[in-house]
Amino acid sequence: MKIVEVKSLSKNFTHHMAVKDLSFTIEEGRCVALLGPNGAGKTTTLEMLAGLQKPTKGTISFLNAKKGDYREQIGYLSQHPVFYPWMNAEEFLLFIGELSGLSKAEAMKRTDELLEIVGIAHSKKRRIGGYSGGMKQRLGIAQAMIHEPKLLMLDEPVSALDPVGRREVLEMMKLLKKKMTILFSTHILHDAEEICDDVIMIHDGNLAVSGSLPELRRKYQEDVIKISAEENLEEWAKTIATWEVVSKVEYRDGSVEVFVKDVAAARSPLLAEIKAKQIPVTSFTVGHTTLEDLFMKVVGK
Amino acid sequence: MGLAEVNWALVSPLIGIQVILIIIALIDLSKSERTNGPKWMWVLISLFVSIIGPILYFTIGKRHD
Amino acid sequence: MKKWVVLFRKEWLEMSRNYKIIWVPLVFILFGLLQPVTNYYMPDILKNASDLPEGTIIEIPLPSSGEVLAQTLGQFNQMGVLVLVLAFMGIVSAERKSGMIKAILVKPVAYSSYITAKWLSAILLSAASIALGMVASWYYTGLLIDPYPFINLVKGTGLYLGWIVFLLTFTVFLSSRLNSSGLVAVCALLVSILLSLSTSLLGKWMEWSPAQLTTAASSFLVDGRVEGPLFLPLVITGVLVVIFLFLSTTNWQRK
Repeated sequence: MKIVEVKSLSKNFTHHMAVKDLSFTIEEGRCVALLGPNGAGKTTTLEMLAGLQKPTKGTISFLNAKKGDYREQIGYLSQHPVFYPWMNAEEFLLFIGELSGLSKAEAMKRTDELLEIVGIAHSKKRRIGGYSGGMKQRLGIAQAMIHEPKLLMLDEPVSALDPVGRREVLEMMKLLKKKMTILFSTHILHDAEEICDDVIMIHDGNLAVSGSLPELRRKYQEDVIKISAEENLEEWAKTIATWEVVSKVEYRDGSVEVFVKDVAAARSPLLAEIKAKQIPVTSFTVGHTTLEDLFMKVVGK
Repeated sequence: MGLAEVNWALVSPLIGIQVILIIIALIDLSKSERTNGPKWMWVLISLFVSIIGPILYFTIGKRHD
Repeated sequence: MKKWVVLFRKEWLEMSRNYKIIWVPLVFILFGLLQPVTNYYMPDILKNASDLPEGTIIEIPLPSSGEVLAQTLGQFNQMGVLVLVLAFMGIVSAERKSGMIKAILVKPVAYSSYITAKWLSAILLSAASIALGMVASWYYTGLLIDPYPFINLVKGTGLYLGWIVFLLTFTVFLSSRLNSSGLVAVCALLVSILLSLSTSLLGKWMEWSPAQLTTAASSFLVDGRVEGPLFLPLVITGVLVVIFLFLSTTNWQRK
């Protein structure tokens, strides 16, 4: 079931268009990564979804409710979460819980639960002003999900954290995705590959590619044979580029990457060729392109 | 006007309020991480600028973010 | 309504954490007490300050208690307004600058609740501080000079509060629109000074001005009755407060 449907969403600022004609849907229960380099329009998109910015054009429908206030159904964590530094974590969660529409008793119950879940229960009476970045991020996630939203949106939840904090938050997201739909933005493909089911890649405010990870792998993945040798292979690389079975050849950092349509059909002739030409090969690796390559292609164009 | 002529019952509430303001300003200064301008300056102002020292700190010196 | 109360409670918790709830009233009480004390000791102060030959007699008639209270009000209108504007200049703009406003508005909260909870807490704290300051002044005036009818104090202070409510509403409005708290303070103080000045200089043209309420309050404290216009500035002040409060609660997604 669709939880969010975005249709030709656009956002103009005075000097540039941050988001251009963006359309996508999010299915309930999925963990979706909004992937793109810095400045691609990720934050603007998320803020429009969260109701913090008005789209210049386009529609956002939430659970088929075309209009109206769906803020009760979403939890949102901004890229640089802010709190009242003079409150302690418990007070803050209670405050946000009641603002989210919980009764005082419910808010207190959820506060206790969440402080445990995100692992800051031991410092719940300390002023937030003295928290570390990782603790703030965890408190931020707690405040976003205090009212058990249908959709949890996180803007770059790990990019500002050190490796330890990053691991903690990623592990937490893995647990959360079993319970709710998650949409998070990141400019790091690795994070997306690690925890999400679907990817929406955007670049310059445009939708580049979207789909589930296996689907994207299947669709965009190419087999590639990587050959390195003790001598310069650049000239040789040009001669095999004309082969029927080869789709593209790239010479990079002293090794040749041969993109092939069918590994089985290409492997033997290549090996035969190497033997015939007596090329001093140091490595011959059969593999396939990764999403990283796709990402770089999208970003590069 | 000698000291003896001052009606202390009248003046002591003024001094009391002044002292409370100074104490609150100092407590707040000790808790806050940053102020507009150096902290020691605000300590001196709160202590020694008569009547309006602590008020100056609360209105101008204290950061509200 | 429940969420409004949550926001309102948060304002008071914040004002107690940063001690505003103590220091703002204390400042007004201090200035309130200082006025009658200064008036009372003025002859002694003058005698000490100027190097007059021994035996010089300084005759300064003690002002009436109403005049002292009017002077207190005048003091509040300078130092007091300055303190209030500086205390509340960042009431919205600071939270916009820190990004806190987004963290709150992403929750199902009406922007109007967010603003009005702040507006009312600012007004209540200010009004209570001014009232306490006036009562303190009234008490010392009664001790040192002459007892003064309490009911007149209440009425006079009430009139003056109209002007304060206007100024604070305008400050909240500026704070909701401008990103710099400093700019908010400058604009609010400028408007306060310009309105007060033009009202006293161009009395005829400015009969509608909210600043007339300070003139009215002063004359009421001194004479027990209002000199000059009263009804018109009261109505205009009410209308302006509603307009600026309404403007504060609209259009926050400006971009």
